[in-house]
Amino acid sequence: MSKVPNMPKSWREETKPHKFCPGCGHGLILKALGEAIDELGIQDRVVFGCDIGCSLLSWDFFNVDAVQTHHGRTTPVMTGIKRARPDRICIAYMGDGGGYAIGSGHLVNAAARNEKLTVILANNCNYGMTGGQMAPTSLPHMKTETTPYGRDPEVTGYPTQGPEMVAAITRESAYVARGTVANVRQLKNYIKKALQNQIDGTGFSFVEALSGCPTNWSTNAKDTWAFIEKGMTEYFKVGEIKDPAKKEA
Amino acid sequence: MTTSAYKMKEVDTKKALFTIFTGICKGCGLCMEKCPAKTLVWSKTLGVYGTPAVEPKDAEGCTGCGMCATVCPDCAILIERKK
Repeated sequence: MSKVPNMPKSWREETKPHKFCPGCGHGLILKALGEAIDELGIQDRVVFGCDIGCSLLSWDFFNVDAVQTHHGRTTPVMTGIKRARPDRICIAYMGDGGGYAIGSGHLVNAAARNEKLTVILANNCNYGMTGGQMAPTSLPHMKTETTPYGRDPEVTGYPTQGPEMVAAITRESAYVARGTVANVRQLKNYIKKALQNQIDGTGFSFVEALSGCPTNWSTNAKDTWAFIEKGMTEYFKVGEIKDPAKKEA
Repeated sequence: MTTSAYKMKEVDTKKALFTIFTGICKGCGLCMEKCPAKTLVWSKTLGVYGTPAVEPKDAEGCTGCGMCATVCPDCAILIERKK
């Protein structure tokens, strides 16, 4: 029994198995984040802030200082920590409900002020913790708990495209990207670049990660992958939307 | 440092030593769908939530690519390639 699982070093092993549902995308996003923290060697400087919703279950996920805030208020709390201690690396971790619904004002204004912090947002098309209600990111005609006949865009509008929204109001020095849990290596690279952007003090960095919610989508593993890789990426285009390094080249 | 006390099961295949930590495997099945050789099947051994864990069905199929370990949200799979 001397073998150990191949977890990122920044993970807190005694809290595993973690609290997320089987097949949840949060585990993969946090794995990518953990590997990025390991590779940059910043574990002792990271402050991790998590939002209300499923993302709060990550409060004891890492061996770093963590704070759990009110719904949607992770961005301002981390802004405050960053302003008080500019040497810390501040990561705000939230879901699409916290980032695009109740906390969209905070996210947009932090981006407009070009705060030097990193926001990582998990987009799973619904409110997972409360039972799968419609979120701003639910796809058109997607069935959720509160839209049993499918989301009607005429009544509830079209899904929020967060990275595009953030990219539109940020300065050239901001890093904005959208990754997916179907490509963990690419997602890790995006998160690494976003953290590097903060370490260099260049500007705001924002990564949205398309994530799965098998519990509330009521899908098996095959359908979960199909929904992430086909259904979601049709509407949410994966890729780097704003990269300060590319502008100079 | 913490000591690992997770329950585990080893399956020796031709190309690699496949270890499933049943103490953290939740049986979501994401790895089975992503396996390019389609060699993973439900195991008789149960995972942490009392649902079946996974294992390679025979010694031939596994190529040791490590895709299952990459897509596991819980880091429950360890692949050690043989030279």
